Amino acid sequence: MTDHETRRGQRWIAGSAMAFGAAALLLPFAGPAPLDLARVWAREEPDWSILVYLRVSRTLLGLFGGAALALAGSLFQSMLRDALATPYTLGVSTGASLGAVAAIAFGWHVNAGIAGVWAGAFSGAAVVLLLVVVAATRQRRVSAFGLLLAGVATNSVCTALILLVHGLAGMSESFAITRWLIGSLDAVEYSALGIYASAVVLLAMLIVRQARLWNLLAVGEAWAATRGARVTPLLFSGYVSGSMLAAATVALTGPIGFIGLVVPHVVRARVSADDRVLMPCAFFLGGVLLASCDALGRVVMAPAEVPAGAITAFIGGPYLVWLVRRRI
Amino acid sequence: MTMELQVAGVGWRAGDVPVLRDVTFRVGPGEFVALMGRNGAGKSTLLDLIAGLRPPSAGTVVLNGRPIDSWSARDLAKTMSHLPQMLRAEVAFSVEQLVLMGRYPHSGAWTETAADRHVAEAAMIRCGCLEFRHRSLATLSGGERQRVLLAACLAQQPTLLLLDEPATFLDIDQQLQCFSLLREEADRGGTCIAVTHDINLALRFCTRLIVLADKTLARDMAVDVSLETPEWLQLFSTRLDAIRTPVGRPWVWYT
Repeated sequence: MTDHETRRGQRWIAGSAMAFGAAALLLPFAGPAPLDLARVWAREEPDWSILVYLRVSRTLLGLFGGAALALAGSLFQSMLRDALATPYTLGVSTGASLGAVAAIAFGWHVNAGIAGVWAGAFSGAAVVLLLVVVAATRQRRVSAFGLLLAGVATNSVCTALILLVHGLAGMSESFAITRWLIGSLDAVEYSALGIYASAVVLLAMLIVRQARLWNLLAVGEAWAATRGARVTPLLFSGYVSGSMLAAATVALTGPIGFIGLVVPHVVRARVSADDRVLMPCAFFLGGVLLASCDALGRVVMAPAEVPAGAITAFIGGPYLVWLVRRRI
Repeated sequence: MTMELQVAGVGWRAGDVPVLRDVTFRVGPGEFVALMGRNGAGKSTLLDLIAGLRPPSAGTVVLNGRPIDSWSARDLAKTMSHLPQMLRAEVAFSVEQLVLMGRYPHSGAWTETAADRHVAEAAMIRCGCLEFRHRSLATLSGGERQRVLLAACLAQQPTLLLLDEPATFLDIDQQLQCFSLLREEADRGGTCIAVTHDINLALRFCTRLIVLADKTLARDMAVDVSLETPEWLQLFSTRLDAIRTPVGRPWVWYT
């Protein structure tokens, strides 16, 4: 990075981080029921509980979920050198979805319902993770192309299985599956949120720390290898850490589309292709976008809610087309 | 330590198809080797084997006394640089970002140091790409990209440069500049191995010719004596012949 580029990058990262903080403070106040600050301050019900137990936890889930998906998307776009790569490209999220859908369809309530979906999502993700790694490894080497091929193949098998399970499910389970597959945010217990957020932050630090290596891989595998990167372990660690981010997020929110595709593209076009800047900016801005879309979904048709997954696709799709057309 | 590359009995198969067999040669400091041969002769494969990008199915590649597969990726990248034949077109990095990537093996710190930037800038000046340092690679012409790639290789400050067709897409003047730059590197004690199809460029700038044919090494000769027995030209085409230019330099022409 040149001095000028370094300063510009630092400004963007700082600005994105501030937007993340501002979103955490302001977005909980958006919702169908207006909150009275004085009542919240005095801890009067129901305002206090709505804010703390519903809105804040939901906003934080949106912030960390969006951040995780956008970071995983930028990682996979660099790693696979594929502009259309998303956290879902390599199959793990679809595996997680399959596990969750199976849990809903067959009524596996470990306790309180939610835990069944989580357990299903995590086991689905783990199975797919192993399958893809085995399928992509040839002579103890992994290539981006091998990962992509194995991931896309696994994706389509899992999608077919989701349809099958969905078809076999009863009426009310089928409705729950459809809702879940759209992807939406809901209030979660603080204990679960704490574990999830710490995992996201930890994985994000591990990934971003290697930003210069992701830059090298974004140019090419031979390019990276002849500039000091150990390509196979690098691809492997990127695949596992990106997939863990995506799978944990899918388990909590359902498959929310487009954040992982749009945010990295926008940052790359507007700010920098350098992953040292791109990844932190995508992390913070992805969180802001998802939490804002969710807040918008709460108020736009209140008291009905539009799922955050639908809003991100409505906004993200046209914006991406506009951005790409402008550059051609 | 002075650079020494030993290629001993190296072969490579793609599945059951032999691509290269039993190639043996040694290269030392100050040499500028032209690696030549017809399409499919195995030139790029040989370069990849030397670079450690694929393990040979037979034989060994030894650099400075150590087998290439026992080097750490970082140490190898400090000693040796590889210019790829082509880069995908949609790389979103700027010229300067790409050239600075050559500094990674020297320091993996989060940001490049002032010294790193200085080296990268010098490399861009030598390759004539400083004036478009801030442009995105995707907006450059084929020849401009090629110069950027060479600058990125020089920024690595290697003692051994492996180049897969460094003169592709370059106009004639740029081809001459590229090859004289590589010759300069060799004259300073570096080593260059360049795949090329241009026999006249090789005769003018290189010190040694290695010709691959029939999937193995067919000729290995010093440029100075290469045209004393010009039969090897038939390995490229039966329509080639060598003459002397009015200033007495050898020149290969075709009918």
